[in-house]
Order: sequence, then C-alpha cells, then structure tokens
Amino acid sequence: MKKERKKMDPRATWPRPVTEEERAQILQYLEERFGFSPALFEPYEFLSTAKNYWLFAHTPHREALARVLRVQTAGLLFLRKVSGYLKPTTAALQRFGRLATRNVLDLDRFTLDRLRLEKKIPFTAELETGYVILRCEGDIWGCALYLPGKLISYLP
Amino acid sequence: MAETSSLAETYFERYREIIPSYEEFLRALSQPLPLYFRLNTLKLRDPERVIKGLGRQGFQVRPVETIPWFFQVEPREVSLGNTDEYYLGLIYPMTLSSALPVYALDPQPGELILDLCAAPGSKTTQIAQWTEDQAVIVANDKRLDRITALVANLRRLGVACVATTVYRGEQFPLGINFDKVLVDAPCSGEGRYRKGYEGELLFQKEGHTNLPAIQKGLIVRAYDLLKPGGILVYSTCTVNPEENEAVVDYLLRKRQAEVLAWDPPLPSHAGLTEWEGRPFHPDLTKARRFYAHEIQAVGFFVAKLRRTA
Repeated sequence: MKKERKKMDPRATWPRPVTEEERAQILQYLEERFGFSPALFEPYEFLSTAKNYWLFAHTPHREALARVLRVQTAGLLFLRKVSGYLKPTTAALQRFGRLATRNVLDLDRFTLDRLRLEKKIPFTAELETGYVILRCEGDIWGCALYLPGKLISYLP
Repeated sequence: MAETSSLAETYFERYREIIPSYEEFLRALSQPLPLYFRLNTLKLRDPERVIKGLGRQGFQVRPVETIPWFFQVEPREVSLGNTDEYYLGLIYPMTLSSALPVYALDPQPGELILDLCAAPGSKTTQIAQWTEDQAVIVANDKRLDRITALVANLRRLGVACVATTVYRGEQFPLGINFDKVLVDAPCSGEGRYRKGYEGELLFQKEGHTNLPAIQKGLIVRAYDLLKPGGILVYSTCTVNPEENEAVVDYLLRKRQAEVLAWDPPLPSHAGLTEWEGRPFHPDLTKARRFYAHEIQAVGFFVAKLRRTA
C-alpha cells in the first residue's frame, strides 16, 4: 500500500510584516518586561500571522520571496498573542534569554524538574506578576507564568 | 583456499581502482563512525559549558582541530538526543564531513542562499551560524514530514534567517536570483555504509530510484536559480561517480558553468576525469572526494561551481 504523505497547504502565504507602530509596541514590551535592548533586534523584522509574531532577518529580497514562493515558515516563532498578552516562545528565550536583564527567575535543578513534571507549583518570589524567563545553572530553559503564590510552566 | 568475500567487499569491489589505500578502506568499514557535534555559536561561544555538561553525563568531548566549533564525542554508540545540551539547542549532532559543503559555499552575511534539499537542516543551520543569522536562507525540501524535522531543528537552534518551502527541487519556482545555491543531493549514501559482523552492508539504502536522473534535474535547476556569477555547491555522501562527477559533467555540458578550486579542511582527492571508459570534463579534478577511512567521518563528494552566463 502506498504511504500517504502530508501535502503542503496550497493557501500558505508569507506572513504580514508588522507596521512601524506595531514594531515599536513589541520592542517596548520586550524592553519593559525583560530588559531586552531594542538594538538587539535591529537586524531583524517582525512578521505577523493570526496569533503569532515571527522574527526574520531583514532583507531587501523579502517582497520578491513573497511574490514567488509559498512558504511554510519564515523565521523564528517569537511571540504568541495569548488573551491580550504577548508570551515569548521557548525558542525565542533559549536564543536571546541570556541577554535579558529583568524578570529572569533562577531555579535550582530540583525545582526546575518539579515544574517540568507538575506544570504548576506553589511558588513565591519577589517578581512582577506575568511571564518570566526560567534560568537554571546559567542555562535559559524557557518561559513560565508567575502569579502570586504559584508558577505555571510553559516549557514544552 | 581463497577467503570468501563478504557482501560489503563485493559491493565496493568496483571502486577498488579509485579508492586510495583500498585494503585500509575495507578494514575501516568494520569500525563504527565517530560521533561529532557542532556547537551552536548563535547561543554559546564558550564550549566549556557543553564539555562539562556532557562530561557529567559520561561523554568525553574533544575539539576537532581542523574544523572550528566541531567536537568529537565518545562513546560514539550513545545518542546525544536525550541530553540537556541537545534540548537547549546548544549542540547539533552531525558528521564532520557534513561541514564540507558549507566550507565550499563560503556563505556571507546579507547573501541570499538557497538550500535546495535542506532537511533535516545540518547545513542550513551551519550556514545560519557561519553568517551570524544574517544570510537569508530559503531551506527547501520536497517532503513536508522532512520539513517538520527541519523546522524543529531551526527552532531548537534559534535560527531566524530561514524561510522554509516544500517544492520538488527540480521544479523549484524560477524568478528569484540567488547568490548561492547548495544542492546536498539525495544519494545512495555509500559514504556511510559500514560492514556488519557477518560481512553484510549496514545503512544500505533500499529502493530502485534512478538517483542520477534526480540529481541531474536538481543540479540544472539549481544553476538556473543562480544570479550570473553566483555559486553552486553540489555534494553527496556517496563514492559512486555516476552520482558525482557524471552529474557535474552533465551540468557542464548543459549550461555555462565553471568548476572552481576550493581548499577543504580535511584530506581529499581530486575528482575523477574518467569512469568505466567514459571521460569527464578535465576541470572535474577541482572537485574533491573524501573517503571515510581518511577523514574518520562519512565519505563525501563536493564540487564548487560558478554560473558564468
């Protein structure tokens, strides 16, 4: 029997480049929440799909690429729009997280493993409520949501 | 009584005249290939973190002197795929010779590069790393399930300069002039064949696909996608001249391309100018052949070409 293979989506289109205003909002969020310098993202542009922002290298060829090619993905899935908030992806934080200066939460290995296993653990720390970057022994692991008294894992 | 040849020895007999130190090559077939990884410098430039981390899990890691950011790992039989270092995207396990096509390509920041047969992405991510995530790479593969693996690797390594597409390579749409195109072609994979305990061939590919026909289609389309003066790198991990020199020779007869010399970081031999009585273009000596027993990695063929018209 011939094996069925998945076919590409014929509607696949290049994601929409964000407006200047949208870019400014994203950069402001990244700086205010995590202390990411906007200069870090100068070589990149942000592209938008329905629920996500993607990071893609700046290129004068983008329009030509979009005209000729049906893409599956463009760049790195960077932020998800979750009920009005922006959540950085694991991939984004594992790449850039070590350059963050705010809302980075250091966990010991035991607590990290417990969080990965249980997904939600009781936790209290001097942190602003919201998304935090998880760091363990110098490595950036990804994202969690800190709410008063608890920590919710977004690690895959 | 003469010793009976093993299946592996019978298979490679046709290459006796072209493989240097042939007996040594046969002996090396019984050894498992060394395990290597590339450090992902987009995330980390100090290898100590990875060397220590893997060391705690029982791996011995030592740098490869000839190729920056590559490391050899023992024990070679154990997968690195379950380590934290892999999960965090700090390393990309790949064979050493797989770095060679990117050496020949010599990618630069700002260039527009097509990786025509990209999945699962060892060379795509290496190009991204070499150019500090600042070349724009279109990574194509004809199968969506393989693109899924490629995208997972791009995400794991944190690469942002790649767009992925799913086209048959021979029919990749025209209309964009790439600075460079890499064709790491599907091949019989003879460079990775090993000999089992009973002399049988391990890792032999199944099926009856006409690989040279596919490879010729790919190399011609890759040429047509280049800007004038653009660079094409054609590579395989096979010894077979019909999948290597014959394919490049086909391009040289069909299009105005020039074979370029390049300086590989591993021991190599000139491409062939004749096989089974059939002559190839004399410039094919500039293509490079790499043999597993000489480089302690998968055997490879790499040709660098320029579009002249």
